[in-house]
Amino acid sequence: MELVQNFPAVSILLCLFAGIISSGLKKKAARWINTALILAEIVLNACTLGYLLETGESYVYVMGKFPAPWGNEIRAGVLEALTALFFCVIMLLSLEGGRKKLADEVEEGKTYLYYVLADLLLSSLLALVYTNDLFTAYVFVEINTIAACGLIMIRQNGRTIEAAARYMIMSLLGSGLLLMGICMLYDLTGHLLMSNIKEQVEILYASGEYKIPLLVTIALISVGLSIKSALFPFHAWLPDAYGYSTVSSAAILSSLVSKGYIFLLIKIIYRVIGFPIFYNSRIIDMLFIFGLMGMVFGSLSAIKENDVRRMIAFSSVAQIGYIYMGIGMGTQAGMSASIFHVLSHAATKSLLFIAAIGLTDVSDGSRKFRHLTGAAYRNKWAGAAFTVGALSMVGVPLFSGFISKLLFAQAAVQNEIKMLPALIVLGISTILNAIYFMKTVIRIYTPVGGNRYDTVTFKDMKSYVAMLICFIALNVILGVSSQPVTDLIEQGLAMFS
Amino acid sequence: MLYIILSIFFPVFAGIFLLAGKDMRNRKSLLLTVSLVLIVTTVLTILAITLMGGEMITLFNLTDRLPILFRVDELSVVFSVMVLTVSVCTGVFSFEYMKHEEKEKRYYGFFLIVLGVLLALCFSGNLITFYLFFELLTISSVPLVIHNRSREAVMAGLKYLFYSLCGAYLCLFGLYFIEQYGNTLTFSAGGVISNTAAAEHQGILLGIAFVMLIGFGVKAGMLPMHAWLPTAHPVAPAPASALLSAVIVKAGILGIIRIVYYIFGASFLRGTWVQSVWMILTLLTVFMGSMLAYREPVMKKRLAYSTVSQLSYILFGLSVMEGDSVTGGLLHVLCHSFIKAALFLCVGAVIYQTGRTKAKELRGIGKEMPMLMWCYTIVSLGLIGIPPTGGFISKWYLATGALSSGIPVFSWLGPAILLISALLTAGYLLPVALDGFFPGESFDYTSVEKKEPSAFMMAPVLILTILSVLMGLFPGHIVEYLSQIIEKIV
Amino acid sequence: MILSVILLPVAAGALVLLVPFKKRSQMEIFLESMVILNSILVWQLLLHRPENIFTLANFTGNLSISFEVDGMGMVFGGLVSALWPFATLYAFEYMEKEEHEKVFFLFYTITYGVTLGISFAANLLTMYFFYELLTLVTVPLVMHTLTREAILASRKYLYYSLGGAAFAFIGLIFIIIYGTTTDFMLGGVLDPEKIGSRTNVLLLIYVIAFMGFGVKAAICPFNSWLPDAGVAPTPVTALLHAVAVVKSGAFAIIRLTYYSFGAEFLKGTWAQDIVMIIVMITIVYGCSRAVKETHLKRRLAYSTVSNLSYILFGVTLMTPMGMVGALSHMVFHAVMKISSFFCVGAIMHQTGKSYVHELDGMGYKMPCVFGVYTVSALALTGVPPLAGFISKWNLASAAVVSGNRIAYGGIAALLISALLTAIYMLTIVMRAFFPDRESEREAALKGALDNVTDPGWKMLIPLFVFTAFIVIFGLYSAPVVRFFTDVAGGVY
Repeated sequence: MELVQNFPAVSILLCLFAGIISSGLKKKAARWINTALILAEIVLNACTLGYLLETGESYVYVMGKFPAPWGNEIRAGVLEALTALFFCVIMLLSLEGGRKKLADEVEEGKTYLYYVLADLLLSSLLALVYTNDLFTAYVFVEINTIAACGLIMIRQNGRTIEAAARYMIMSLLGSGLLLMGICMLYDLTGHLLMSNIKEQVEILYASGEYKIPLLVTIALISVGLSIKSALFPFHAWLPDAYGYSTVSSAAILSSLVSKGYIFLLIKIIYRVIGFPIFYNSRIIDMLFIFGLMGMVFGSLSAIKENDVRRMIAFSSVAQIGYIYMGIGMGTQAGMSASIFHVLSHAATKSLLFIAAIGLTDVSDGSRKFRHLTGAAYRNKWAGAAFTVGALSMVGVPLFSGFISKLLFAQAAVQNEIKMLPALIVLGISTILNAIYFMKTVIRIYTPVGGNRYDTVTFKDMKSYVAMLICFIALNVILGVSSQPVTDLIEQGLAMFS
Repeated sequence: MLYIILSIFFPVFAGIFLLAGKDMRNRKSLLLTVSLVLIVTTVLTILAITLMGGEMITLFNLTDRLPILFRVDELSVVFSVMVLTVSVCTGVFSFEYMKHEEKEKRYYGFFLIVLGVLLALCFSGNLITFYLFFELLTISSVPLVIHNRSREAVMAGLKYLFYSLCGAYLCLFGLYFIEQYGNTLTFSAGGVISNTAAAEHQGILLGIAFVMLIGFGVKAGMLPMHAWLPTAHPVAPAPASALLSAVIVKAGILGIIRIVYYIFGASFLRGTWVQSVWMILTLLTVFMGSMLAYREPVMKKRLAYSTVSQLSYILFGLSVMEGDSVTGGLLHVLCHSFIKAALFLCVGAVIYQTGRTKAKELRGIGKEMPMLMWCYTIVSLGLIGIPPTGGFISKWYLATGALSSGIPVFSWLGPAILLISALLTAGYLLPVALDGFFPGESFDYTSVEKKEPSAFMMAPVLILTILSVLMGLFPGHIVEYLSQIIEKIV
Repeated sequence: MILSVILLPVAAGALVLLVPFKKRSQMEIFLESMVILNSILVWQLLLHRPENIFTLANFTGNLSISFEVDGMGMVFGGLVSALWPFATLYAFEYMEKEEHEKVFFLFYTITYGVTLGISFAANLLTMYFFYELLTLVTVPLVMHTLTREAILASRKYLYYSLGGAAFAFIGLIFIIIYGTTTDFMLGGVLDPEKIGSRTNVLLLIYVIAFMGFGVKAAICPFNSWLPDAGVAPTPVTALLHAVAVVKSGAFAIIRLTYYSFGAEFLKGTWAQDIVMIIVMITIVYGCSRAVKETHLKRRLAYSTVSNLSYILFGVTLMTPMGMVGALSHMVFHAVMKISSFFCVGAIMHQTGKSYVHELDGMGYKMPCVFGVYTVSALALTGVPPLAGFISKWNLASAAVVSGNRIAYGGIAALLISALLTAIYMLTIVMRAFFPDRESEREAALKGALDNVTDPGWKMLIPLFVFTAFIVIFGLYSAPVVRFFTDVAGGVY
């Protein structure tokens, strides 16, 4: 066994340790540990990815002594490593971009807690990505939920507490359903390791026994994870949670937490239930339809919204709709489009949140559109970054959003029945996206008379601008040379089955 | 070659030059210029007519398949002579008449342009050239209509413009198809529609023919697109009305002759539904025009309605497509233009001298302007068709042609309607003359002054009257000349 | 080389913003010389066409950003590069009275490059890319005045354009999937083997994509952005909304129809019928709205709506002749419309008047402007021997030759529209030169005509040049039309 093979497990544990250590430290130290941790994670995951690409096949890492079917396992493939790497990068950029705001919004004494929670969250995300064991997955889903709640609540005002409560309730509902699903799978197959369950499920399916319980299981797991990732119509918790929490939290929640669940779902589809079986269940059509509805209704809600943060939050509902539509398409191409969109949306949405905060800060902190007029002149970098994010969301070529759209559409063409609805909704949703994002862009570029608001200069916010530039670069790289990324995704999906 | 081009473009450029140039120092030099242009144009046209023997002159090619082409054939001669005579007469008449209107220079500018364009229409050798100048005619004659710029005149001018353009576009619609289904666009007696197209696409072609008839019929005041004529003609200054009513509307007639006899060919249309519908339309127009004229109190409007009716005499003759009737139609082209010009000029002279516009105000006018009213009476008789004026000859030919055509119903219905209309014509023209000369006992003879118009106004009226009478007395040469045309086309 | 003509205007535009010019005239000279230089480069490019496709970057797999100068590109690129220097010259004088002119000229010049990008795009993806970009760089121009109206208009413009592109995008996808390549090839690139029995689906997609690109070409019912966008300064409305932007829509549809789906594939199908009927409706609808409008620029904008559909009518005939008609109207209409827009701009600039009923008797005060306007009005109406007649002739004879019964209706639509065009264009001429006495007196009382003169040479030169073009194209169009025929025949 090579050293690199330990890295996934090490990365998860490292996070947990970092969290534990940080909880006893002061604010500054916690912050440095956190940053160092994420940087280390990036290195670890990059190494893993490099190793995997070199060997060209995935491997299973047995935790401890017991082999399957008893022990706990970690599985690393190209897709896992890529996603983990990407999550770490986004995490780093989001935290750094929202750092200044964090200092303003979170009480001095509690700042270290924020980093503890962030460390925990990262550990749970990595675990969700790498684990090969359903029960472990469930445990980390719970950790994830709790950490996310904390991230929402740490900015303390009435709104966030309400939002966190709501998030908690919905999330627990989702976890509950997921747990029931896992229990039933255990009942049906007697296993908790993914690979073993899959063998049993295939045998069961072939024998034709337990058809309905199997279907119910699939439904429970899908619905559970959909609730957690805010698929329409289970998105009620989302706008408040994203809209009122501190900006880093919002960015992390929207681009990482929900994506972690989606990744888990994809993993379950491929590695637990098996793609053909999942495809033959009706659940996939349900996901497709909910995805389409999310694309439209999420955007419609965003159009009605008068608060820029909540608008971006509603936009997430629409974007998650895209992802589920891709999954629901039931083709390999649809799946890889979804995974690409997971990455692309993560990069874009956090950019938008971070840029939006720059704009609201120069508008007396107000998030109403009325006050944002001309904000892009007061904070030029945030304005430019917001514009890039908006264009990417609308799907203008050169940015990552265009490639996702391209992949979705190409995937749609391959499914004759779902083609037309998918394409037409894609078109409508693009228009709706254009409406609310472009409205905002035009608004922030409309000059306002008088000097009612402050103007910030580059000197005031070097690190913020640096983060924005990184985000923009990430977006453009994904948009211009997407081929390597899509290749990796294809390769990773191939390793899944 | 040179003469045709010159006769067309000399007046046009002279007109443009007048419009663009600065105001003349005094009226005299303006009038001198205009008369000089008129004389030169006349000479050039006569030279063109006499020297050109039917060869085709291509000015340039609009596109590869659309040459701008001129040619003098017999029909061009008839029409150009008519155009020139009436234009010169009305031009001379305007010298005096336009004194009481403003912006004379503009009037003469457009007058000359219209003259050039009219000549170009006469000399056009193919349909596209004809169409080109047909449009230009509309555009350049609008300023004549709206010359006095009252709101009424401007509205009438717009109405004229849009009706005419509408007509032109109907023709253009046909033109597109003819370009496709015809062998060529060049006018050739007997038609240009290729036999295969005529056989394969008869339905479309007949439809096209009808559309084009209606289209050119707009200018010729034929139902259902006649409404502009009684609005637009009366608002123009009298000499311009004369030009409009006598000559410009004939461009529509010329267009119809060209498409019926030189593009589709009489043999293609004879006996089809197009001919029947066309006849019905002309007869309706004849009757309706006369009725409306009869009821109209304002003289110029009355004459305009009369034009509507008389033009459809010509069109009826053409629609019968029989040797005699076509001869009658062509004769009536000449007669009507001389007579109608004379009538308008008479009324114009009355307006100029006395300011009276309504028929019933003209009581006793014969005592004030005896010579003018004599002319009026003579040409009125001509329009009614009483021998020995030209009108009698043309109507005679029209009637005999129709009777001998053998077309069921129309061969007798046509002449009957023509006769009724002639009675109506008498009814709307003669009472003016009668009241003018015999105002009755209640008339106050003491207040009568001699108001005979000046020589500039009187001479054109006289010339036109004499011409119309001469046509009636010695029709032989003209009929002979026309028979050359008829032979080829019917 | 191709890349340089696209990038040079972008660079020049950026320099305008960055370099602190001491005087306005310096900036003018710099900008004008750059634009002229670029036009010269473009023409150089057209005369010495590079044979190969130039690939800038690979997107994913077989998708690339690449450029090529083919026949269609030559037509559109040539047109744009011929008009731009004049429009820039005109803009110098017009923009004297407006604010933020540097930003204006920045985007104005960038648009030049982007439009060239559209015309020289070698495949559907590249064109789509520049098509989207065009929307984005022209939005600041539309909202230039920053009035509430302008902002609403630019929002509408954005939504419509991006929305349209979203549906055009679907067409792009299908070409990627079902075509042998995405490169433009006359006759289409669809692969019959891949299509199999899915003909109807593809036809449906064609209609959707047609409507998508049609948004920019302002087809009914997606045309309301165009008149609203008229709030922009006149050089923008003239150049962009009569030439660059809307013509890009038409250009894209030509590319889609003849070079991607292929005319043969579409001809005689229900898809052709549908798009043709839509186009015919637009022709008549645009004109009738124009007659109703009394605001000068909105009237011209609706006129553009209808005239663009003339072009599209030629396209939907799906024959080489139809394409010739479409191309000739694309070029000729550009010249006629830019000329009439510039006249209106001159009127607004000199007098501040923008409604038809305020023009009474102005013709004698501004003889040059109204003279030019009259020529362009007559040309738009289709009076021979001006340019408009030729293009309409080409369109209509193509329709006759096509033998398509619906196309005959299209000819009727063309002629109805010609009549309406006469109404809305010539009434302006009539008012200017032959106002009725009462209105003239009223105008004189208000002193509306005092101090009204023709504008300066920077505005007049473009006007005269365009007029000359209109007349020359009308009298002697053979070489141009022959070139179009070659393009439609695939010679280039």
